[in-house]
Amino acid sequence: MTSAGPTAPTARRSPLLIQLGGLYGIWLREVKRAIRDRGQLIGGISRPILWVLILGIGLNPYFRGEVYGEVTFVVPFTYLQFIFPAVVALNIMFTSVQSAVSVIWDREFGFLREVLVSPMSRGMVLLGKVLGGATVAVFHGCLVLLLARFADVPLTWLDVLKALGLMAMLAFALTSLGVVIANRIRSFEGFGVFSNAVILPLYFTSSSIFPIDPSLSRAQTRVVYPDWLVTIVEYNPLTYAVDALRGVLINYNQFDPRLGIAIMAIFGVVLFAIALFDFRRA
Amino acid sequence: MTGAPNSGSAIHVDALSKRYGRTLALDGVSFDVGDNELFALLGPNGAGKTTLMHILCTILRPDSGVALIGGFDVVKQPLAARRRLGIVFQEPSLDDRLTVHENLNLHGLVFGVPRKLRRQRIEEMLALVELTEWADKRARTLSSGMKRRLEIARALIHDSEIMLLDEPTAGLDAQTRDRIWSYIGRLRNERQITVLVTTHYIEEVEGFDRVCVVDHGKVLALDTPEALKRDCGQQLLRIVPKGEDNRQEILTRYADRLAGEAGESILLTSDDAFVEALLAEYGGRIRSLAIEVPSLETVFLSLTGRELRDQAAGARESTLAFGKRGGEHTR
Repeated sequence: MTSAGPTAPTARRSPLLIQLGGLYGIWLREVKRAIRDRGQLIGGISRPILWVLILGIGLNPYFRGEVYGEVTFVVPFTYLQFIFPAVVALNIMFTSVQSAVSVIWDREFGFLREVLVSPMSRGMVLLGKVLGGATVAVFHGCLVLLLARFADVPLTWLDVLKALGLMAMLAFALTSLGVVIANRIRSFEGFGVFSNAVILPLYFTSSSIFPIDPSLSRAQTRVVYPDWLVTIVEYNPLTYAVDALRGVLINYNQFDPRLGIAIMAIFGVVLFAIALFDFRRA
Repeated sequence: MTGAPNSGSAIHVDALSKRYGRTLALDGVSFDVGDNELFALLGPNGAGKTTLMHILCTILRPDSGVALIGGFDVVKQPLAARRRLGIVFQEPSLDDRLTVHENLNLHGLVFGVPRKLRRQRIEEMLALVELTEWADKRARTLSSGMKRRLEIARALIHDSEIMLLDEPTAGLDAQTRDRIWSYIGRLRNERQITVLVTTHYIEEVEGFDRVCVVDHGKVLALDTPEALKRDCGQQLLRIVPKGEDNRQEILTRYADRLAGEAGESILLTSDDAFVEALLAEYGGRIRSLAIEVPSLETVFLSLTGRELRDQAAGARESTLAFGKRGGEHTR
């Protein structure tokens, strides 16, 4: 035991290098797993098609107001254009939470234990997991971007690059959220519970499928829409993320775009910190 | 002692206790495992073996007591201890969606094994457990015996000096079990390695250097298999009386000799004179009688007063079953 013999090659490596290598390993595992999960991939492709092509095209004619016979859009965009950035967010949301929830399976099927007895720090294990999930989520978000031309959303490379940045932030925050939820769950009843209890309510109340008319004042808005709905939308952090994405993709903002970036950054850090706190304790 | 390990024993356990609610899972367990030793923890399910294993592999904190792995305290220096450990858990912990090779590679990455050495080790270890041809198959396609072999290979990818195997052969057929023991034997010839195994298969520990019998969180005996048989091995008499009244009579008459009850049969400590005396008196009232010569089995019985019990399914198993039924996004 005291002889240096076989331990030498590993012992000589710097601890940081070891942690980074492990981070890469865990990230790679997450990505590989997701690529091999057909169900997840099918969902990632069919969801945007349904939302953009079916719902978007179907509701397109109704997304306008008629004043004295003159047709105007509530916002200066077609419904298809309006909903497009939100569908990007939706696809990211589903995939992020789905990856994060696999923490439960890692726990049940012992994989987690295998990494917890490694020299990797807990923080790095969690970071690898969250980054992996976020990477897959951004990839699924990109699947939506491919539909841009069908939604009449012209994109420059710079737009795409900016959007990727925002998508990455959103994916990181949402994956952390998923891990926080997964850590608090002892037995798992299926992903449907998550999609119905977390993802869809967040999505529907984020001003993603209907705009809160920016031309109206705060008081007028509360006349047009019920008070509680406006309140929920305003308190939903996802509202600001979708808004920031909309700013980049179709150049339309209901709020200050910097607000979206700030909120995503804060939520990303806070949720990751909570996830890490739970993870360390478990 | 900051960096340098205490020389001497590979595993040092001193007065280790762990309580779960009102149950005392470990009650002041102490033992030492020497370098390069093949050491068995033998005990029925629920004896505290797995708790002890979890403490040794640093994922559970003991309430009191000290555990050292290669001289490193598992509570104070867990990372240093982990680097020396190769662990095979009781439950499978492979990633089913990754291939055999990817599983090993991931382990190598996580344990910081440099690329060149990683490749070489993976090849060697796959050869050792005879899974080379399966390297590119998904882990889910392996049989449970092959998965176990893969887990053993995995535990050896990094510079593990001490292997902890928690029930490595549970639920496997006899042939696979033999193979696993032969791998471990071969390994000990090639590499300096200490092996601590928990098991409840008594016949498997005959070839071990030392055996530690535990039950109810306590060490009952610790010695070589031969010495255990010599010292604690008590000849036992297994009798099945005819009818309940005879049974009661024998039980009251030989209460001081009672070593245990298993189903219908009664186990009594015995010697040749006792057998004759018993037969003379109850010969006609006994349905069957067997003399059990000292073996590890009888050592175990006389120490714990019972046979090995089975495990009940808990909440974990039911969630696992959900996954196996095809629960979403599991594998």
